[in-house]
Amino acid sequence: MKFIKEIKNTILIIFVTLALSACSTGKKSGVAIDGDVYTGKDTVEYLAKGVPDRIFFATNKSGLTTAARATLRKQSTYLRKNKDLNVTIEGHADERGTREYNLALGERRANAAKDYLMTYGISGKRISVISYGKERPANTASTPLAWSQNRRSVTVKVN
Amino acid sequence: MTKSLIYSVSFHLVIILLTVLTLPFMIRQPIELPPIVSVELIQISDTTNIPYAPKARKVIEKVKKEEKRVVSEQAPPAAKAKEKPDRIPMPEDNKEEKKIVKKKQNPEEIKPEIRQSSEFEKKEIIDTNQIAALIDKAKEEAALVEKNSNKITQSNQKNSFATGLTLTQEDALRAQIFGCWSVPLGLPYDGDLLVRIKLQLKQDGTITKSEILDHERMNRPGQKFYKILAESALRAVRLCQPLKVPPTGYEKWKELQLNFDPTEMLKG
Amino acid sequence: MYKKFLFTFIILFHSSLANALIEVDITRGNLDPLPIAVSPLYVDPKSENIKDIKTKSLGEEVSKIIEKNFKSTGLFNPLNKDAFVQKPDIAHLKPRFEDWRLIKAQALVTGKLNVKDGKLKVEFRLWDLTASKEMIALAFTTTPGNWRRVAHIISDKIYERLTGEEGYFDTRIIYVAESGPKNRRVKKLAIMDQDGANTKYLTLGNELVLTPRFNPANQMVTYLSYFRNLPRVYLLDIETGQQEVVGNFPGMTFAPRFSPDGKKIIMSFAKDGNSDIYTMDIETRVVEKITEHSSIDTSPSFSPDGKYICFNSDRSGLQQIYVMKSDGSDVKRITFGSGLYGTPVWSPRGDLIAFTKVRKGKFYIGVMRTDGSGERLLTENFYQEAPSWSPNGRVLIFYRETKSGPSGEGFSAKLWSIDITGYNERKIDTETDASDPSWSSLLSK
Repeated sequence: MKFIKEIKNTILIIFVTLALSACSTGKKSGVAIDGDVYTGKDTVEYLAKGVPDRIFFATNKSGLTTAARATLRKQSTYLRKNKDLNVTIEGHADERGTREYNLALGERRANAAKDYLMTYGISGKRISVISYGKERPANTASTPLAWSQNRRSVTVKVN
Repeated sequence: MTKSLIYSVSFHLVIILLTVLTLPFMIRQPIELPPIVSVELIQISDTTNIPYAPKARKVIEKVKKEEKRVVSEQAPPAAKAKEKPDRIPMPEDNKEEKKIVKKKQNPEEIKPEIRQSSEFEKKEIIDTNQIAALIDKAKEEAALVEKNSNKITQSNQKNSFATGLTLTQEDALRAQIFGCWSVPLGLPYDGDLLVRIKLQLKQDGTITKSEILDHERMNRPGQKFYKILAESALRAVRLCQPLKVPPTGYEKWKELQLNFDPTEMLKG
Repeated sequence: MYKKFLFTFIILFHSSLANALIEVDITRGNLDPLPIAVSPLYVDPKSENIKDIKTKSLGEEVSKIIEKNFKSTGLFNPLNKDAFVQKPDIAHLKPRFEDWRLIKAQALVTGKLNVKDGKLKVEFRLWDLTASKEMIALAFTTTPGNWRRVAHIISDKIYERLTGEEGYFDTRIIYVAESGPKNRRVKKLAIMDQDGANTKYLTLGNELVLTPRFNPANQMVTYLSYFRNLPRVYLLDIETGQQEVVGNFPGMTFAPRFSPDGKKIIMSFAKDGNSDIYTMDIETRVVEKITEHSSIDTSPSFSPDGKYICFNSDRSGLQQIYVMKSDGSDVKRITFGSGLYGTPVWSPRGDLIAFTKVRKGKFYIGVMRTDGSGERLLTENFYQEAPSWSPNGRVLIFYRETKSGPSGEGFSAKLWSIDITGYNERKIDTETDASDPSWSSLLSK
C-alpha cells in the first residue's frame, strides 16, 4: 500500500515539476511578471540614460520590490546630480479596484517612492506626489499583463 | 366696533349674493351626473432646482404654522359637509367637476394643503383619503364589534370539509385567488400582514358584499402599508369573480372569510 | 366593569360566529406586474401654445412618460393604447369600468390639462377598475416648461398609492460623462432627469472630475476635481454654478459625501500615503478628524440618522467594510466573507448597506444589514461598482465597465440600475459613456 502511495506521489511531483517548468518557459518567451509585479521594459520611459522613470507594484500593495529599490536609487543619483530639478511622483493603480480605494492606493505608492528617494538624500521639498488611481492607465488592455504595468509610480520632471 | 360690524355684514352679503348667483347656474347643468371627485392642487415651483433650500424651508415652516390656524378655522363647515355633501361650483367653467369638502381625518393630510398656491387655496378641496373615509362610513358599526377581535388571527380550527368545503374545493378556491392577487411591494417584513375579508356570496360565486375586518387599522399612523395590502386583497377577490364555489351546500359557504397573509411568501 | 363584561360577551359571540364561518387562508399571490392603462391626457382645445412646446400633443407626451416610468419599475405593465376604447375626456370624467376591465386593466390613469395665462394646469385621476372607484385625484399648476416634471410627479403619486412606497421618478441623477480613449479619458460632470432626459453638463472637461454626490436638498454637489493638478474635494452650487474648494488641506482630499443634514462633508484626506476620514462643517469650516489609523480609510457614508458612519479600510490587510459612531469611536468590522468589500452606502431607510464586492476576479453589487449579516449579491460582472440608492431605498444605480481589447478598444462605461430584490436589472441610457452616478432625493416633497 505504502509503496503504491509513494509511486503516486513521485508521479505527481514529476508532473507538477513539468507543469511548472512549462509555465516558466512561457514567461521567459513573453510575459515579464514576477509574482504579479511587472519586471519588463515595455511602457518604461527614461529620465536620463539608464534611469527608468517608473517602478511596479503587486496587487493592492505599496511595498517596494528589490527591482523598484534599484530603480529609485538610480533616480536619486540622477536627482543629486541635477540639483535644480524638481519632480512629481504619480501613483497609479490598475482597473481592478474600486475608484476611491484606488486613489488612496496610488497615493500610498507614490509616497513609498518619495520616502525611499528621501532616505537617499533627496529633499522632500523637491518631490511632490499626486495619485491618479485607475484614471490614467499606461496600458489600456484588460489583461493581467496590462494591469501589472498599470500598478506603478512614475517620476516626472516638472521643470 | 360698528365699523367692523358693517364690514362683516357687507362681506357676508357679498358671499350670499355670490352663492345665489352661482347656484342656479349649477342647476342648469347637463343631465349626466358626474362622480363626485376631489382634486388636490399642488403648485410646482418654477425654479426646478431648490425645493428644500434652507431659506425656503423656513418660509414653509412659517406658512405651515399659519395654515394650521386657517385649517382649524375652516374645519367646522367642512365637518358639516361630510354629512351632507354640498355641491359647490368650480370657479373655472369646467362644469363637470363638483367638489366636496371633507373634514380631514388624518393630521398628515394637512400637509399637502400647505403647498397650495394662495390663488387656489379657497377653491380647491383636498381629499386623498377618500376611499378610507367611505369605508369608514359604511362600516362604522362593524368596527365596534371587530375592534375587540383584533387578536383573533387565523383560528386554528379550520372549518373546512367538516362543515363546508372539501379540501379539494378549498384548494380550488385558494388556487384561483392566488392567481388574482398581486401582492404589493413595500410591505414590512416584520409587520403583521394579515388581512381578513368577509364575503357574502351568491350561489354562482359572485360577491354581493365584501368587508375588510380590522379595517380601522388602515387609518392608523404607521400602518399605511396595511391599507395598500387590504386594497390589493379586495382587488383580488373582485378580479376573481365569480369565485369557484362548490355546486352544493350554499347555506354553508354563502358567507366566507378569506385570510390574506403574504408573510410566508415574502420570507420565502 | 360593565364595559368589560360587554366586551367579553361580544368576543364570545363573535367567536361562536366565526366557528360557523368557513375560513380560507390565502398565503400566496403573484408578483406579476400590475396591468395598468394610462389614457392620454385630454388637452383643453382652448389651451394656448407656448414656444417650444406643442400643447396639442402634451397629453400624449405626459402619458408616455408615465408609462415609461411604470415600465422601468418592473412592477407595472402599461397596456397598449391601441386597445383603449374610451376617449380621454370622457374617460377622465367617468370611465366605463367594464370596458377597461375588458382589456384586463386593473388600474386606469386619466387626466386633462390646459395652458391658460402662461400657466400649465394638469389634473389626473387614478381609478381602481376592480372596485369601480377613484383612488386618488390631484391637480398641479406650474410653468409649462415643467411639464415633464408634472408627469414624473404624477407617476410618483400613483406609484405611492399602489405600492405603499414613496416614488422616485421626480428625481435627478448626477454622474460623470466620459469620452475619449481609455488612457486620456475626458470627464465632465453631468446631470439628468431620472429617465435620462434633460442632460446638462456642469463642467467643460478641462480637468478630471470624479465621484459627484448630491446634498440632501439636491442643490449642491460635492465632487473630486483635479483642477490645476491638485486633486481636491469641491463644492458646486448647481443653480449659480459657483465652485469652491472644501477646506484647506495640504494634500489630496477625495471620496466626499454630505452628512444627512447637509451641514457637513465627510471625506478622505491623504497625508504621506495614509488616508484618514475627516468631516468639515460647511458653514463654520471646522474640520474634525474621524479616523486615526495607518491604513487606507475611505469611501465614508453616514447613516440616515447621522449617528453612524460606514467606510472601507484595509487595516486588516485587505479592503473590508467597517461601521463606527459618527465621532469615530466604536469601530467594528462588519464584513468577513471571502473577497474584498468597498464603497459602502447606507440606505435612505437605514436598514441596509449597499456595497461593491470583489471576489475571484469578479465584481458584485450587493446589500447587507448594517451589522454585516444577510449579505445578498444582486449582480455579478467583469467590473461594476459605486452603488447609489434611489430615495425610497428600493433601487440601486451603479456603473459598469466592459473589458477592453489589446489597445483599449471596446471599452465602455454605462449606468445600470437594479431592484434590491435582484430583479429588474436595466441599463440607463445616457448621451455619453457614464460613471459614478449619484441619485438625488425627491425634488418635490
